Amino acid sequence: MGRHVGIVGVGQTHHSRRRTDVSQAGLVREAVDRALADANLSMDDIDTIVVATGPVLFAAVNQPEKWVVDAIGAQLKPVVRVTSGGGAGFAGALAGYYQVAGGFADRTLVVAYDKLSEGALQYSISTLYDPFWGREFAVGIMGFSAAYWRARMDALGHTEKAAAMVAVKNRKNAMANPYAHVKKEVTVAEVLASKPLCWPIKLLDAPPISDGAAAIVLASEDVAAKSTTRPAWIHGIAYYCEADNAAERSMLLSEPLAIAARHVYRAAGITNPRRQFDVVEVQEPYTCFELSYYESLGLCPPGGAAELIASGATQIDGDIPVNPSGGALGANPIGAAGLIRLIEGATQVMGRNESHQIKDAKLALVQSGGGWANLRGCAVLGA
Amino acid sequence: MTTAGLNRVAVVASAQTELRPAWRNAQHIDLISSVVADVFKGTGLTLHDVDFVIDSGSDVLDGRSISNCGFLGALGAHHKEESRVEEDGLWAALYGVNKIRSGASSVGLIVAYSKPSESNVDAYWSSMVEPFYQRPVSFGQRAASGIQAQRYCAEHGTTLRALAELTASRWRAAVEHGTVAIDSVPSADTVLASPDAAVPLKEMMLARPVDGAVAVLLAREDIARRAARTPVWVTGMGTSLDAHSFAARTPGRLSSCEMAAKMAFRKAGWSADSADVAEVSAASVVGELMVLESLGLAGPGRGLAAATGGRTRVNASGGALPADPIMATGLVRLAHAARQLALPELYGLDRPTRAIAHGTGGVGMQNHCVFTLGI
Amino acid sequence: MHAAPDTYAIDLPALHSELAMPYTLTPGRAAGTFLAEIGKRRIIGSRFASGLTIAPAEDFSPTDGESDFEFVEVPATGVLTAFTQVGGDIIGLIRLDGCDNDFPHHIVEAEFGKLATGVRVEAVWAEGVENSILAITGFRPAPGTPIGKARPAGDTAAPVTVILYTMKLHYEHAYGPYYARLFDEIRTNRRIMGVRTSDGDTALLPPREIDDITHRRTGTWKACKDTGTIRACSIINMEFLGQTRPPPYVYAEIVLDGASTRLIHMITIDSVEAAKTRIKPGTRVRAIWRKGEREGSLRDIERFEVIDG
Repeated sequence: MGRHVGIVGVGQTHHSRRRTDVSQAGLVREAVDRALADANLSMDDIDTIVVATGPVLFAAVNQPEKWVVDAIGAQLKPVVRVTSGGGAGFAGALAGYYQVAGGFADRTLVVAYDKLSEGALQYSISTLYDPFWGREFAVGIMGFSAAYWRARMDALGHTEKAAAMVAVKNRKNAMANPYAHVKKEVTVAEVLASKPLCWPIKLLDAPPISDGAAAIVLASEDVAAKSTTRPAWIHGIAYYCEADNAAERSMLLSEPLAIAARHVYRAAGITNPRRQFDVVEVQEPYTCFELSYYESLGLCPPGGAAELIASGATQIDGDIPVNPSGGALGANPIGAAGLIRLIEGATQVMGRNESHQIKDAKLALVQSGGGWANLRGCAVLGA
Repeated sequence: MTTAGLNRVAVVASAQTELRPAWRNAQHIDLISSVVADVFKGTGLTLHDVDFVIDSGSDVLDGRSISNCGFLGALGAHHKEESRVEEDGLWAALYGVNKIRSGASSVGLIVAYSKPSESNVDAYWSSMVEPFYQRPVSFGQRAASGIQAQRYCAEHGTTLRALAELTASRWRAAVEHGTVAIDSVPSADTVLASPDAAVPLKEMMLARPVDGAVAVLLAREDIARRAARTPVWVTGMGTSLDAHSFAARTPGRLSSCEMAAKMAFRKAGWSADSADVAEVSAASVVGELMVLESLGLAGPGRGLAAATGGRTRVNASGGALPADPIMATGLVRLAHAARQLALPELYGLDRPTRAIAHGTGGVGMQNHCVFTLGI
Repeated sequence: MHAAPDTYAIDLPALHSELAMPYTLTPGRAAGTFLAEIGKRRIIGSRFASGLTIAPAEDFSPTDGESDFEFVEVPATGVLTAFTQVGGDIIGLIRLDGCDNDFPHHIVEAEFGKLATGVRVEAVWAEGVENSILAITGFRPAPGTPIGKARPAGDTAAPVTVILYTMKLHYEHAYGPYYARLFDEIRTNRRIMGVRTSDGDTALLPPREIDDITHRRTGTWKACKDTGTIRACSIINMEFLGQTRPPPYVYAEIVLDGASTRLIHMITIDSVEAAKTRIKPGTRVRAIWRKGEREGSLRDIERFEVIDG
């Protein structure tokens, strides 16, 4: 297996509902400056750059890395755009990982962002649908996310109440996250009583719309020490897909995620995820997805998610804390969200998480995904 | 950089649709699935052997967001690793090579496609420039190409007729080797008689957008030796992105192309003058000359001589002028360059061993990617 | 080589599609300040700590990304450094006096054949245009205009924080042989045709040449019923831009009888509460076809409704 790759520096913006003080490019610059400073590096030290964002229609700039390059001072460096809907940030990190693992670079900067306040979010996501087949009935991400939850609700017991517990947990955790912008504790009753948007998704099951950027520096083993004595090593990372309208696509389990987990667990030597991981970060973004990921990632058996959340095990003080950062419910700049989860997982195993450091965290599981809930990946990070 | 122990990677096979001004009777998925089905022929490999798919396409050209998401079945990606590189397909190949080199995967499928006939190509380009200063004044691909040509011709005294002759020769080559739909091969006079596009460039001196798809199969060494009659090794890769502001780039040069070439040649351990074959992309005929010069195939202003009569056979496929499947053009170049090394007799080449494949993207060719290949 | 769909019976014109999205773009401090001042006929540039002076103003140096700058006011005169003509419109690169950079703009009141690089130019101001680089119509040749200087901008207006923008993209999507047959059958026979999977009897909808899972050729055509079963659904209770019908209604992914993949459509409802229990995965539904002439699209099905009992 190629070269070991570690995350040696991280940075993210203080996400918010709307940043009218910076352009899209300026927002990216903030995260890059923070990540470089954190890695004790300057742009001169960076060999290659991956820029990841959501779809073009979010922000009206086609292939925006060609604009952003000026703002981050990366002129004449190798820069590439990777995009994968909601999983763009994670897919970008994966591309960066292989640039280092494959010997193309020693240090790769991965930056991801979305400035969602600038576009019409659900409308633009509806263009994901085939123009011949269903686009006019599309309801952004929310329509199908809620529909797939509805399919799991009766079969797997992913009840509104179980999902509400996810909202309560993540929103409480976000209170301590300096980068989150939704900071309000809620109760199960409040979630259940909140306005239905696409039922069963209700207002408090849904993430905010955010402006934000995130960046990481990946480094090979040879050069990691210049940045930190304690990188977050990537023990495994994968991102799988399933055809959007394949026959018998499972509504109950995320098969691409289960495949990715199997692959990554094998690479990282994980045989009992529930016991081995110290902390988990998942890109919900709706509460219902977190329940589903518990099962697809093997943290509990199929149908066990409601019991897992109810048991308290995924709380900060539980045996398998999930989203101590508050997850996407605290901030959701979509294209960056997967990279933010990686950052939160990385800082946990680096021992310097700013929201809720899990004591002695040595092994973190990070999940991300996008598209039509059909692009899914995960990574294992270790101290 | 420690790179010992990394896998060697080869181009095993490629498949390409005919490149047509419009595939009116086919959808994206039809073009994509046909090249994915065809690329395995004669290799002994099947889709089951493929570990991952990396694809290139454009949401703006396709008219749908996260368009890869709707094409996964056609891409052969179901339940495999898949990533979308929203650059020319040569960057997708670069990703794939890294993935195999790392040892994580053995066989990768690289796919790029384009159906510009369904959309407005000028909108594709204009949506690429920043929206506050450049987009409102209609600065886009045509203006950038025109300014490059103005400067080039003024500096080097290149005549329009010489540019027209080179253009016509590229169309002739495309008929012979490019799998390009061409009704009649234009003469230099026809090129000169085409409307002004971006003065001094005539319409036919710009790369012609076409529909099509291409697939390239990459594999690690042991598999490539079994699957390919002649594995074509990827010996070097380089990319570079210039400043967004066209006006901020060094006039008369393609600095990012020079950087990309330097990076690739450093890894390959050879330079342009020992290349037997070069397949290059360009936005215009002048762009092609500038690319040849930036790659080191010719000195400044000497691109014309290298384009048709140098030691290196340039664009035997015709290159991007007769057929530019935007987002796939560079990957088509890789397929053609590899083919010329593997099957030189088809091209009248005498035992070529080294090739250059080149892709570009962005307004005014802001971005460049260079592969060196060897057998 | 792609060969399969060369012969087919039905040739439909392309499907026209338009994506027209509204945006509220933020230019950032430098461009926002430039745009705030340009309506007052003041051109604001950036002078970076390195000494580099550029206009229009940018937050970051276009050559190296430097971000430490102060605003300068630059004259509306300069030189033409390059030019071309695209569709009758002359586009030039302008270097304003006192600046180290060029930028593109229209060249007006000029004959293309008489232009030369190095010619002095001056801005032609538009009437009543604010918050846009088009407050300058373009630059015109102005031989002999004195060479101005960049000077500190002094007080500047608050940056413009939001620029309204619309991106409109037009498409003519090809039907291809499979969609052509599908929609032609819907239009002429009110029949929803799929193709069999490569290894079974159920139909893929929409039909396609290659099976998504096996990547083998799909089988023969098969008519699906216009009744089916809901696989997934949600109750849409919110309004959003681009919505084609008023809420509440049900978004449904339906597997028609005889098919194995999902058709996306909607179900009208009277009550959200009743719909929660009445409409769910497993619920049987039927298509309600639109009255009158059909157009050959999914809109020919007005909606689906629950089959009682």
